[in-house]
Amino acid sequence: MTIDVSPVDSPTQNSARPPLGTAPMVSVNRTAERGVPQTKVVIKDLRFYYKNYEALKGINLELYDRRVTAFIGPSGCGKSTLLRILNRIYDLYPGQRATGQVLVDGKDILDARQDLNLLRARIGMVFQKPTPFPMSIYDNIAFGIRLYEKLSAQELDNRVEQALRRAALWDEVKDKLKQSGLSLSGGQQQRLCIARAVAVKPEILLLDEPCSALDPLSTQRVEELIAELKSDYTIAIVTHNMQQAARSSDYTAFMYLGQLIEFDETEAIFTHPKERQTEDYITGRFG
Amino acid sequence: MTLYTRRRATNLVILTLSLFATGLGLLFLFLILGALLYHGLPALSFGTFTHATPAPGNQGGLSNAIYGSVVMTAVATLVGTPVGILTGTYLAEYGRGSWLAPVVRFVNDILLSAPSIVIGVFVYTLVVVPMGHFSAWAGSIALAILVVPVVVRTSEDMLNLVPSGLREAAFALGTPGWKVVVMITYRAALQGMMTGVMLAVARIAGETAPLLFTALNNQFSSANMNGPMANLPVVIFQFAMSPYADWQRLAWGGALLITFAILFLNIGARFLANWSGGSTSR
Amino acid sequence: MVETAAFSHASQRSGRHRLEDAIFRNATRGFAIFVLLLLAAIMISLLVGALPAIRAFGFAFLWDQSWNPVKDLFGGAPAIYGTLVTSLIAMLIAVPVALGVAMFLTELCPPPLRRPIGILIELLAAIPSIIYGIWGLFILAPFLQETVQPFLGATLGAVPLLGVLFSGPPLGLGMLTAGLILAAMVLPFIAAVTRDVFMTVPAILRESAYGVGCTTAEVVRDIVLPYTRVGVVGGVMLGLGRALGETMAVTFVIGNAHRVSASLLAPGTTISATLANEFSEAVGPLYIPSLILLGFILFIITFAVLAAAKLMLLRLDRQAAK
Repeated sequence: MTIDVSPVDSPTQNSARPPLGTAPMVSVNRTAERGVPQTKVVIKDLRFYYKNYEALKGINLELYDRRVTAFIGPSGCGKSTLLRILNRIYDLYPGQRATGQVLVDGKDILDARQDLNLLRARIGMVFQKPTPFPMSIYDNIAFGIRLYEKLSAQELDNRVEQALRRAALWDEVKDKLKQSGLSLSGGQQQRLCIARAVAVKPEILLLDEPCSALDPLSTQRVEELIAELKSDYTIAIVTHNMQQAARSSDYTAFMYLGQLIEFDETEAIFTHPKERQTEDYITGRFG
Repeated sequence: MTLYTRRRATNLVILTLSLFATGLGLLFLFLILGALLYHGLPALSFGTFTHATPAPGNQGGLSNAIYGSVVMTAVATLVGTPVGILTGTYLAEYGRGSWLAPVVRFVNDILLSAPSIVIGVFVYTLVVVPMGHFSAWAGSIALAILVVPVVVRTSEDMLNLVPSGLREAAFALGTPGWKVVVMITYRAALQGMMTGVMLAVARIAGETAPLLFTALNNQFSSANMNGPMANLPVVIFQFAMSPYADWQRLAWGGALLITFAILFLNIGARFLANWSGGSTSR
Repeated sequence: MVETAAFSHASQRSGRHRLEDAIFRNATRGFAIFVLLLLAAIMISLLVGALPAIRAFGFAFLWDQSWNPVKDLFGGAPAIYGTLVTSLIAMLIAVPVALGVAMFLTELCPPPLRRPIGILIELLAAIPSIIYGIWGLFILAPFLQETVQPFLGATLGAVPLLGVLFSGPPLGLGMLTAGLILAAMVLPFIAAVTRDVFMTVPAILRESAYGVGCTTAEVVRDIVLPYTRVGVVGGVMLGLGRALGETMAVTFVIGNAHRVSASLLAPGTTISATLANEFSEAVGPLYIPSLILLGFILFIITFAVLAAAKLMLLRLDRQAAK
């Protein structure tokens, strides 16, 4: 069910809103139908530094279980940075550090004693550029599973098939599982990466602009995928594409220059944003 | 003459010179390859591969020398490659920000360009003297020391070419660090690293100086790594410098064998580097 | 959620992972340190081996011309002189020719021929030095002896001051021949490096120079060379390093005489040729140490050239960055 966004004021008024049709269409997410949202991740006063430069300036928000939270904002606002804190992938690079707290199921993952490998096995990530491993399609999926689980060959086959079905890739690759993952098209490679991420049964999925390197058809398929995955995973997605955010997410966070400007249910953000900046961004006045 | 015509004349002169320069270079190549084929081909026969090096005035072949070269090159490669790859791995994957990495790179460059005869002297003092005699082991070690810097360089370069996104994707799955390197990064860089190894082999296959006082030479067929072992380069050296016509002919034959083996290795490495059998992404 | 049983398996695994990580990381570090130790070992063992000679001769070794195994009197001058002179000849010939080749390949050569010719040049670099050596001995030396050297002796030899360089009987073997062979060896190497470096010049720089009306030679002289000077210098220094240390190509044709002669046509020796010829049969308390001392000196010279090259490149890089 979709709701038309019509400007309340007429186009000729001073505080002119852009004409009909340019503001994104919002689909009502069936939030209310799926029960009360449980908090999965709590971010408290999160600050992030590249060397001495403060890239994130005190973020506070919550991610809800089995909901999709979209992060939007102009380039450089810190949304990818924030995402990369959630699985502590920034830890790979010296000179980058985070302060504050990020509580996943009550436990602070920024704690120095946190086991990073286990954390990342629970929190999956899909990157902007598809990065299939240089191995067969089957091994791409099996790789992550083999890291932490001991399965029989039959069980492994099943898990691989499940993951590929989840990613809507099974029918296309079931006859060529032994072929290199690099032989797939861009859109297929990205779905392979999604399959790879869900194969290890994470609790949270982080998607960093997963469609920006894809053609429109692949983009559509990946978005359909995200809609389906929502029922099992907590999803955080960074996107440049506002229509995508509006279509796919339950909650939206608008960020600008390292700060969280506004965070609310997607419907609210796109129909009646509270902050001026949010409204300006959504209507395309900047970014 | 106006400025313009003078400039044009200079240009013509310089370009002609550059053409001649290239011609000169190519001329050298053809003269050398030509001489090799002209003198070396008649010296080769089936017997070259089955008979050992003869005493002067007798018939013979190069079988022991070929065997020795192959064995010592193989041992040197087996020993030097892991050292080189692991050092290159350190430089590319773990050395960021540490003081050790730039120092190792510098030292590696020194070793890369170090005169190979000095390496031979070094192995002589370190291995031959304590052992009390020349040996194929010593020769292999000397060659291995030449292999290491080449493999370090190429491994580091190839590993650095692997996009960081691939590593991040592996880490994001919870892959432990060493597995990211061994199971993902190595696999992605495999082709390039193999090329590097092939080039290293091509380099040591023709090296004479390091073998002169380590493996020395052996007139007879020997498979004993603990004693002097015949090898093509030293045989060529000895035979070519001698006054015996038979020996000189065999020297040319050996030279032909070595040169074409090395050229095939080089061309093979080139093919390997350019072969895109599914491991390049679109 | 990874099921509980599998999860505890996972956390056990992860503890082991940490250990494996540490082992692997330290192993790579260990091998890196090994490379350092290798260089140190080489220098130390050379120094130790040369000690008797250093004690016996001191610094005088550097300019003493004697070489008498019977009397145990050794001096490094002929070998050092030969090394430096042959390398100088080689660079004087090889560098301009290599630049010419690189210029041809990047500016003049028709595109379909570029790769094949480039590959041929690189193959020339792959040919082992012993091949150059026997080619020099059997082909080049006789040719020089019969044609070129008499010619040089008659013409340049008659010129007052310069003539000294070309005096003496034409033997075919000698420092000039060795220098020529070295030039042939080093040429493809410098040419390949220079060509690679020339190709890094952005097309747009070249195009704007041509657009202003520069001739090809001027483009190379005023745009390409300044842009690539760092890489070219590096390539040249590396070539010099190779020339200094080259053994087999030189040993065959240098004539092996421990003499310092003014004439380039005279036989001489280089450090590496001396080692190659005499090391395996040297006996006597000071003979081998003297040879090792020569090796040590050679190592220092090549080390110095390489270090100087790197420092120069570093400084040029920093200047360029400003």
